[in-house]
Amino acid sequence: MSAWGVRTVAVLEVRQRIRSTRWKVALIAFFVVVGLIAWGVAAAVSGVGDSEWLSRQDAGRVLFGVVLMVVLFLGLLVSPTLSATSVNGDRAAGTLAVLQVTTLTPLDLAVGKLLAAWGAALAFLATSLPFLVWGAVLGRISPVRVVASVLTLAFVLAVVCAVGLALSASVARPAGSALLTYVVVAGVGVGTLIAFGLSAFFLQRTEVVQVYGVDVGGSGACSWSEREETQTHTEDTAWLLGLNPFVLVADVAAAPAPSLNGSDPLALMGAGVRFAQAGARDEIDECWLDDGGFGTSTPAGSAVWPWSIPVYAAAGAGSLWLAARRLRVPATTLPRGIRIA
Amino acid sequence: MAAAALAPADSAALVAEHLSRSFGPVRAVVDASISLEAGSVTALVGPNGSGKTTLLLMLTGLLAPDAGRVEVRGLDVATSGAAARRLIGWMPDVFGTWETLTCREVLETFAAAYRLPPAVAKERATTLLATVHLVDLADAPSRVLSRGQKQRLGLARALVHSPAVVLLDEPAAGLDPRSRIELRGIVRDLAEAGVAVLVSSHELAELEEMVDAAVFLQRGVSSFAPPTAALQPWRVHVLDGAAFLAWSAAVGLGVTQEAGGAGAASAVDPAACAGPAGPTHPTGPAGPATFLVSLTGELQAAQLVRDAVTAGVALTRFGPAYGRLEQAYLAMDTDRR
Repeated sequence: MSAWGVRTVAVLEVRQRIRSTRWKVALIAFFVVVGLIAWGVAAAVSGVGDSEWLSRQDAGRVLFGVVLMVVLFLGLLVSPTLSATSVNGDRAAGTLAVLQVTTLTPLDLAVGKLLAAWGAALAFLATSLPFLVWGAVLGRISPVRVVASVLTLAFVLAVVCAVGLALSASVARPAGSALLTYVVVAGVGVGTLIAFGLSAFFLQRTEVVQVYGVDVGGSGACSWSEREETQTHTEDTAWLLGLNPFVLVADVAAAPAPSLNGSDPLALMGAGVRFAQAGARDEIDECWLDDGGFGTSTPAGSAVWPWSIPVYAAAGAGSLWLAARRLRVPATTLPRGIRIA
Repeated sequence: MAAAALAPADSAALVAEHLSRSFGPVRAVVDASISLEAGSVTALVGPNGSGKTTLLLMLTGLLAPDAGRVEVRGLDVATSGAAARRLIGWMPDVFGTWETLTCREVLETFAAAYRLPPAVAKERATTLLATVHLVDLADAPSRVLSRGQKQRLGLARALVHSPAVVLLDEPAAGLDPRSRIELRGIVRDLAEAGVAVLVSSHELAELEEMVDAAVFLQRGVSSFAPPTAALQPWRVHVLDGAAFLAWSAAVGLGVTQEAGGAGAASAVDPAACAGPAGPTHPTGPAGPATFLVSLTGELQAAQLVRDAVTAGVALTRFGPAYGRLEQAYLAMDTDRR
């Protein structure tokens, strides 16, 4: 691999795409859609913003959170179209083999195509930045958090592009690889949540737990007692949630800490994951006499990104490696239905 | 055209030995050997499905052969990778262009892919656009090009890095007559400059005018000396058909009259006139006529001309009915797949 080769391929890819007017229209449409959603959210929260329970800062956090998730969602829809046809599409158009015979290496082609697709995905991300900044300023979210969440989003899109690239290098027809990439995106975006939800049914066990509650018939004060409870051990499958791109981005962006109190959607998502991580509790606090609240404090748990970012990075790197392998010449075995030229 | 025996001389720019390649149960190339000399043009001839494109893919280093090896100037294509590919220019039979890029940008991109510095790339693009007569369209997007113009751009693309070996797969397809003649000139100029050129084409008559050697490919097996028929058809144009028939009967020469003139000749199988055919029109036409005669070679042809002219036959034209490549091709046990 060389910087020269990667640059040549990336410049070629970008030139091809940027000149198609369709692409400009798509960017404008993306800007308009994100803008409309942001405006809608802002209008909705400002309507209740005068009330006591939603401060101006909270309204900004809602705006930031919703826009971040919407941009991720749209990014996940857009990214596969950019990379999932870039190898087999070129093959079908007869423009791949003529590049493979040059001094470009397979890795030059793979990395160049990935950078071009990712760059295009980042262009979509860039058009939505004004709305994110708007929410961040209103919500007084620290710039470090904003930058970290945008970087995580960009990273997730890079991985999706890499997966699309690998599939387009492995599947003969562009339509097939595009479809498969969407299946993968749906799998991590929705499938992980469904799998987590379904797993809960299989993780229910009846156990004896310690309960700290009001001894109604006795002293009237709080005391410890034992009770049989049906417990759901979601801590066993909470890692599934970590694979979800929305959870990952929300986890990095959650500011200042995951919490069920408040209206920040990112903090709510983070809190949900913490509860899932905590799973069944050995001790249950039902005493309302001491401090008024019972069991609403969010469990400490742990951030999901130290687990999911390495997994995503491995998936991305593996995909890139596979794509480069498929582009290697001289080709020894050809997948079914693939012609070199 | 010299159908020389395979002699991997030191001057060979590209040598391929005993290549074979199967795709599943299909044996595309069974045993193909080829040697391209620097400064010479070699024809690659074979029926559809005989493995020409597969062979070229192996020569370019895109496809790994199941057995055999390809060397370009001593570099093994399989192991030397980019260094070997740098020496080869390839124009595939089917290829696309990046539709939104201009012709100049297409060439400059390929020059960049071969690591030519931008200044050199610009200069090469300008030179080659002039060579293939696309200067007027240099800054037009390549999607507006016609098929023949795309073909010419494809040729320029294959030459952008000044390769030592040029492999052209059906380069004349879709070209207008002028472009075909110019293609011939470009190919000859490449050979003059010391490039080894391999041209695959079905336009045998045209091919014959530019090649120095030929390789025949048949059912995936290559051969340098194709089987040639003992007798080859020659075409005789005379002013007086009846007089010619009378003379040929007198000297015992078997002739066949051609009905529709030169046009119909292409449909005539040389094997059909290989035997001793008697005069088909004993009386014959009184005016100008065309006949086919079967001769063993140029020696007999010279003899015939001398005898006929001496006997007062008004010969206007006389020559082989088919080009040598065509003859060799037709003599092959051709089977289209």
